[in-house]
Amino acid sequence: MKQKASFQRYLNRFGWFCVLPSVILFGVFMLYPILSSLYYVTRRWKGMSNTFIGLGNFIRMAQDKVFLSALGNNFLFMVVQIPLMVFLALVLAVILNQGIRRWKGAFRLAIFLPAVTSLVVVSVLFRVLLQENGMLNNVLLKAHLITQPIGWLNDAAWAKVTIILAMTWRWTGYNMVFFLVGLQSIDPQIYEAAEVDGASKTRQFFTITIPLLIPVILFSVVTSTSGTMQLFDEPNILTWQGGPANATMTTALYIYRQAFFINADFGYATAMSYVVVLISGIFAFAQMRLLGDRGNS
Amino acid sequence: MKRTRFAAIAMIAIMALTLGALSSCGGQPKMTDTVTVWCWDPNFNLYAMKEAVAVYQKANPGVKVEIVDMAQDIEAKIISGLQAGGAGLPDIALFQDFRIEQFLSDYPDAFVDLKAEGVDYSQFAPYKVGPMTVGGKVYGIPFDTGSTGLWLRTDYMKEAGIDPDAYLGKNLTWSEVIALGEKIKAKTGKPLLAYQSDNFDMLRIVVQSTGGQFFKDDGSLNLRSEAFKKSLALFKELNDKGLLYQVVGWSDWINAINSDTSAGFLNAIWMVGSVKSRPENAGKYMVLPTPLIEGVPGAANASNNGGSSWYVFSSSKNKARAVDLLKSVWATATPDNLEFYNKILKDAGAMGTFLPSQSSSNYKAGDDFFYKGQALSKDFASWMANVPVLKYTPNYVPMRDAVAHATLNYFQGKLATIDEAIAAAETEYKQVTGK
Repeated sequence: MKQKASFQRYLNRFGWFCVLPSVILFGVFMLYPILSSLYYVTRRWKGMSNTFIGLGNFIRMAQDKVFLSALGNNFLFMVVQIPLMVFLALVLAVILNQGIRRWKGAFRLAIFLPAVTSLVVVSVLFRVLLQENGMLNNVLLKAHLITQPIGWLNDAAWAKVTIILAMTWRWTGYNMVFFLVGLQSIDPQIYEAAEVDGASKTRQFFTITIPLLIPVILFSVVTSTSGTMQLFDEPNILTWQGGPANATMTTALYIYRQAFFINADFGYATAMSYVVVLISGIFAFAQMRLLGDRGNS
Repeated sequence: MKRTRFAAIAMIAIMALTLGALSSCGGQPKMTDTVTVWCWDPNFNLYAMKEAVAVYQKANPGVKVEIVDMAQDIEAKIISGLQAGGAGLPDIALFQDFRIEQFLSDYPDAFVDLKAEGVDYSQFAPYKVGPMTVGGKVYGIPFDTGSTGLWLRTDYMKEAGIDPDAYLGKNLTWSEVIALGEKIKAKTGKPLLAYQSDNFDMLRIVVQSTGGQFFKDDGSLNLRSEAFKKSLALFKELNDKGLLYQVVGWSDWINAINSDTSAGFLNAIWMVGSVKSRPENAGKYMVLPTPLIEGVPGAANASNNGGSSWYVFSSSKNKARAVDLLKSVWATATPDNLEFYNKILKDAGAMGTFLPSQSSSNYKAGDDFFYKGQALSKDFASWMANVPVLKYTPNYVPMRDAVAHATLNYFQGKLATIDEAIAAAETEYKQVTGK
């Protein structure tokens, strides 16, 4: 009995020994930054020096129109881009799953490729295409679809469209892969039964495919939401530092610029990060509540 | 059993080999000392430093210098390093003149005082030394000048029936330039100037040529000056008359210049490299002095854009060597060093601000690549002497961004008047800096 207890203790100790490296790494790279951010957030930081300002960073944030409009942009991209992308990914997944017999692998690769391409490289090409006198405008002008060149990078509203298109281009294929996997787990007999009952393809899509894919859609929407809240690359490179004139500034980019570019104000940057994390958390929670219950039933 | 033993032997063998390799590495006595340099632009800064190192290595053959091209976010990387007490930083880094004051004020002990190391600053152009001076300490070695001029395509001028020779070497006013631009546009359809619409540089060139300042002496914003208002009005006029060919982004701007989209541009001497990179440009460009805004006292036919300087980090483990490299090549007037300055001017269009170097041969020579073999370097050097000094302050970047944003919105009609544009810039500046 006694021997068994000491063996248990040994096992216990051995277990702790085994997880020790990851505990240490977690402590150093996760716990310590989170705890120290509590200190940062109450201070106005300027390079090596800092002063205590209590909740001053949050008051400043509430009055900072650049931050508020960046937050607004995040919401806009979220509300417009995520539904667009999820719907597109779904349609593409269904087409790839049923509609196409040949070259399936090639199509799947072509659609997935943007997700693994470096945006830095691609944006150079995009910028050339999207200039006022760029190829896209020239093609549209020649086809008489527009009469004035569009300021894809230069006009505040169109630059937002550019960002949404670029994000959709980049992430549709990525989400489509999840939907493809989800589609393959749907029993084909359900479709056969629907076919017998005379349901059209469109009807099948909306009343069979979408309801049965709700868990996958939920996953896709939640990850895309947090991805959009952290949107950084596209506005930083494609529309150049959130341009034109901050029209595509996002919170992540503004945080980065406050910390590493404009002010070296790590306190203010940390405070803004807190707000963004809080908002992302609320969104994830709300989405799980809204869609999650239906997904489980 | 046998297999286990084999595996064990193999393991030991691999370990022994690795250890051997490691020890042979560590066992080597350290004969060379290595200096690391961060900068950007392989054809300009990197090239110049490489040439400087070649000169240095003649006298110090054992020294190795590693020059790293930090094209993306060099400042962000340096801020991370400084924040970490110098971890991961190089020995020497290049800073844009307009950026350094922010670093000197945020990280006061991060850089080596080179005046204390015996550098003679009377031999450098004074406008370069100003931004790197805090109290009695001077922190950098000035590198290149950003002396500006109006670059014009003589072939389009001729096409529009204008004789380029009538303009060659002349000091123009902006109203004369606008008249010229309208003529060229009417005949050839080419807008006068390629303009990067998300960029502040051209506005800065114009404001600096008036002798205007973006900041008051106490460091607060100074946008309500007559010089600034006149400059903004001029830009609006250029824009409204269709004399600006607008692109977004730096590389696209370079691309626009090298694809015959405009009849010219307004920028600094360091554009020589980009213009020469396209053989078809040969014989076409001439460079006039920066145009003058009328009615502003203190305005000159000269301005500046860009320019950088070298700095040594206090955290450097090879500080003495790094300082010696900068001091003995960049700041000492030996025949070898003067030849070095002479060479980088010819090859890269990198005009140093080390005054003794300005009597070297390439500073006077004509350049056959330009219209009528214009002595480009000589002209830029002579304009450099008249450049009104611009105060940067640690808050130059947020000011630059706020003004650029307001200007764009003013151009696009989202801000109706100059006063509104100025107010918008002031508001954004205040919010971004939290002041």
